Amino acid sequence: MILSLSECRQDTIILKSQNRSQSSASMSKPPIPEETRTAEYLLHKYSAVTGAYDELQEQPGVPRAHWSPLVDSLQQLDRHELESRWENGRRIIREHGVTYNVYGDPQAIDRPWGLDFIPFIIPGEEWALLEAGLAQRSRLFNLVLADLYTGSQRLLRDGFIPPELVYANPGFLRPCRGIQVPSKVYLHLLACDLARSPNGQWWVLSDRTQAPSGMGYAWENRTVVSRVLPDQIRQSRAQPLAGFFQRQREMLFDLAPAGADRSSVVLLTPGPNSETYFEHAYLARSLGFPLVEGPDLTVRDRGVFLKTIEGLQPVGVILRRVDDAWCDPLELRGDSLLGISGLAEATRAGKVTVANALGAGLIESPAFLAFLPGLCRHLLAEELLLPSVATWWCGQAKELRYVIEHLDSLIVKPAFGSSVSSPIPPMTAAMARHKRAEHRAKFVELIEAAPRDFVAQERMKLSRAPAWAEGCLAPRAAVIRGYVANGGKSITVMPGGLARISKNPRDLAPALHSGTISKDIWVLSGAPQNVPEPAPITGETRFIERGLTGVSSRAADHLFWLGRYTERLEQLLRVLRCVLGRAAAEPGAGNAFEHGGLAELAFNLGVLSEKEIPPAGNGELTPRMLHLLYDQDEPSGVRDLLRCIRSASLAVRDRFSGDTWRILGRLDADARARPGRLALASATGLSHNLVLDLAAFNGMEMENMTRGRGWRFLDFGRRIERGMNVLKLSRAAVSVQTPAAALEPVLEIADSLMTYRRQHFTAPQLHHVLELVIREESNPRSLAFQINLLRDHVAALGADVSPASPPVEGARIQALADALRTTDLTGLAVQQASGEAHPLVAIFDAWSTELAALSDEVTNRYFSHSGART
Amino acid sequence: MKKLLYEITHTTIYDYLGDVSVSHHLLRLAPRTYSKQILLDHGLAISPQTATVEEHPDYFGNPAHFMAVEIPHRQLEIKSHSRVAVLPAFVPDPLETPAWEVVRARCRDDHSGQALEAHEFTYPSPMVEVADEFAEYAVASFPRARPVFDAVTDLLARIHADFTFDTTATTVSTPVMDVFRQRRGVCQDFVHFLIACVRSLGLPARYVSGYLETDPPPGKPKLRGVDASHAWASFYCPSIGWIDVDPTNNCVPSLRHITIGWGRDYSDVPPIRGVLVGSQNQQLRVAVDVVACGPTEEG
Repeated sequence: MILSLSECRQDTIILKSQNRSQSSASMSKPPIPEETRTAEYLLHKYSAVTGAYDELQEQPGVPRAHWSPLVDSLQQLDRHELESRWENGRRIIREHGVTYNVYGDPQAIDRPWGLDFIPFIIPGEEWALLEAGLAQRSRLFNLVLADLYTGSQRLLRDGFIPPELVYANPGFLRPCRGIQVPSKVYLHLLACDLARSPNGQWWVLSDRTQAPSGMGYAWENRTVVSRVLPDQIRQSRAQPLAGFFQRQREMLFDLAPAGADRSSVVLLTPGPNSETYFEHAYLARSLGFPLVEGPDLTVRDRGVFLKTIEGLQPVGVILRRVDDAWCDPLELRGDSLLGISGLAEATRAGKVTVANALGAGLIESPAFLAFLPGLCRHLLAEELLLPSVATWWCGQAKELRYVIEHLDSLIVKPAFGSSVSSPIPPMTAAMARHKRAEHRAKFVELIEAAPRDFVAQERMKLSRAPAWAEGCLAPRAAVIRGYVANGGKSITVMPGGLARISKNPRDLAPALHSGTISKDIWVLSGAPQNVPEPAPITGETRFIERGLTGVSSRAADHLFWLGRYTERLEQLLRVLRCVLGRAAAEPGAGNAFEHGGLAELAFNLGVLSEKEIPPAGNGELTPRMLHLLYDQDEPSGVRDLLRCIRSASLAVRDRFSGDTWRILGRLDADARARPGRLALASATGLSHNLVLDLAAFNGMEMENMTRGRGWRFLDFGRRIERGMNVLKLSRAAVSVQTPAAALEPVLEIADSLMTYRRQHFTAPQLHHVLELVIREESNPRSLAFQINLLRDHVAALGADVSPASPPVEGARIQALADALRTTDLTGLAVQQASGEAHPLVAIFDAWSTELAALSDEVTNRYFSHSGART
Repeated sequence: MKKLLYEITHTTIYDYLGDVSVSHHLLRLAPRTYSKQILLDHGLAISPQTATVEEHPDYFGNPAHFMAVEIPHRQLEIKSHSRVAVLPAFVPDPLETPAWEVVRARCRDDHSGQALEAHEFTYPSPMVEVADEFAEYAVASFPRARPVFDAVTDLLARIHADFTFDTTATTVSTPVMDVFRQRRGVCQDFVHFLIACVRSLGLPARYVSGYLETDPPPGKPKLRGVDASHAWASFYCPSIGWIDVDPTNNCVPSLRHITIGWGRDYSDVPPIRGVLVGSQNQQLRVAVDVVACGPTEEG
């Protein structure tokens, strides 16, 4: 087993905080009798909210039966122990990089996921009712969609749905009418938001049929919570989630069109700017489907193909997280850059399955809620098991009147889907009376101008669930989201889901977007003994059998540049660290000479803006160095390179293990350090930390990444960059007036000082140094070492990808290897050192040009559809 | 019944500044067959070689062709050739048609058959909004209880008088409100405006895409390629069906209008819609010939 750096650190931190809690408990607090502590501890501030159902308590101080085991178990633990567990949980979330992006807020693009570690518990018997209701809803919606898209629209003619609910609805995609859907599954995945009213009854607040989000977060929440409360989750016998994902995966295989490769499933994402990109990558990785963006796919011969470096690979099923209207610029929204031109035609030809089907978003319009009971009786001959919260669609005269009369007690929403933003600002209790009247008049005017665009819903008093707040439990308004998957032959409901709670006690309902806090949902097993969840213990549930094995051209491109950028950053940090280290050293004999050489070297490398000697020992940094280290906008500075690394790694996030991702997360976090009071010390600390993080990333990738083509492109990028860096460093060194003065720093930057000292016992000499960093094949930092690896990569990629035509890159790399071998480096270095001639600069430049040409050739051959970068 | 036979050639040439590696197009170039016309023959000649040409009826029942070119190209030529037999339109006496309010109530409340289909055309659509301004303009032609066809005929004449035909004033995507403000545009704009007026009163109206046979100037021979795609509108009259009206020419289309298809507005039935991979710059040339071949007994 490989114990990663992050694991080590985590364990240490847990140990430390345990120690601290023990000591603080024993030192600062007198021992408290068991009962007193229990009473005073978790629930002492918990007071149920009048008029709302309380999930935890039946009456004050008495937890409901299904909560008792957890409450008891948490009582056993000290408050500090719990706090330290939560802290550990938050660390896991940060290190997993669980985020939720918020549109229009560039600073918050990586807002960390909010998770309250106290679960939301639902007993098995109660869940069985919800489960049946959710499954019924999935069947019902599917039948409605079938009638509207491929049936005769009898539901409109027979009066079960008012026609304008469909015809005036932007979610009704006319080009999709008549397209037959495999197994008649229009709605593969449904999500429902549920809330409990004061009398204990569950109600559906809204449905998600477009591309429901949150499943990945629910799974990740479970992973985190089972690491934070491992014993509690086992004792509670919470039903595991992994089986649901396994079944959903099988269903997607079953939904593949006849003749298609069953396992050729992809997950289509709008890309890293999407709010829920984290879970797209998480689900893709966990389910074993390639994560693709629209431009990765192409329609040929009415079929859909994934563009990979090996060529086009047919795709049978697209699990989409792109809204349907954006999926095909040819037949749907023409301004979409997220879709695949011709996708609608490919579905019409029956060559690909899109889940949910194009057009399925129609039925999540809140206005449908008002008509579900009638539809259910008509289509299923059953009563609707899960009632929807009372909903009035203003498109009907009677309903409109009711809504206007009862405006103050209702919530008004756009009738046609959540994608349409509401023009109405919410009316709050805090508004002054005259403001309210004014507001109300505006409201009425808006609604009456276009009544069919609005629905009103009863303002329900949400149930309160316990959440962790200031060292004990406190009630918070809660909504839960459940998930149902339909595979045609069967329907399966996730035994759990995503609970959301309001952030502070005054909020009436959890806001959907900003500042939501989520919870894991534990559905207790009905059976007395259940197999404990095997998966979340490792947190890396993965279905490894993959259908599509190709590396998409876009992914290969990102991996290549990730290799180049990480290496570029490492080199920059090594140079900075070397300069900083010497600046901090004691001023003394010999140092002045060396400082002169180093300053020149640093200037040649672009790290100092003028030939200035960094003041030794006084802790000052030059402005140029400050910019390189801390300035967001400094081109090719630390922050800028990190941004490039971040965007490249985000785009291929599904290819990295959780540990690797954690390291990248730490790299980002470490780089946020601000210059402290001791500028030099903090800068040195920063570059040390970052160099170590990069080493961990490289080590993780060397040790753990499958040596497939994806890895080859990553390593290819790194080797090209390292080769260029060695040449740049060597060129900078020989350009120093007295090269000897810069040689020790050169060896330090090239991480070859130890080797040099082992080989030579004298002060560094130029020709020895160059032999070591350029030509020594056993030195992993040397140019020769990079070229040997590049030659292997070129050969392997050529054999894999285009066996018929050996690529020209092979010839180029061979010529470079030959030149390296036959050049009289020592002779030229002696000339250079004596100042007779300066032949080396031209040679190094020529070799650099060759490496750049190699980079271009690879770019053009394998990533031809992506734009150029530098 | 008298029919007229037409031969129509519609040629579209795109010239691209760079290589296009893949192109997808959706064509609505084949005139549909319905009560007023019969498509006798239709052919598409496309260069370069297509990978796919597949026909399907679109949402409104118009024939649509999906086509793909998957070899690099710098020019795309699409030639559509049709032979169509056109029947004269049934034009009722305007004063015999029902009052416009009756039509409105019928389309709102009757959810069966044709009335339900018509109902769909009362709502705003991507290029035609519904607004009080349009209703205010229209209402002068729609006094209480006026027969619907009579009212529409009056509206048609007013639009024809108030608006100037100007090919430089608008583009294919000019919003209908702009057309109203500047009172200038081409056939597509006038049709969108007429539809906006009619829908703003709660009545159904649809957009018709097609061809118009044009006369050469007196004494001159007819030149090739001078005809063009044309557009007009259609409104609904219970128990009669849809009646075409041409605001550009202030007339009721009959034997000289050849219908390709209809939709809610232009965006439902553009003759060609395409997505290219590669060059985004293009130049477009279109030539349409509508040749009347005389009366026929076919069909």
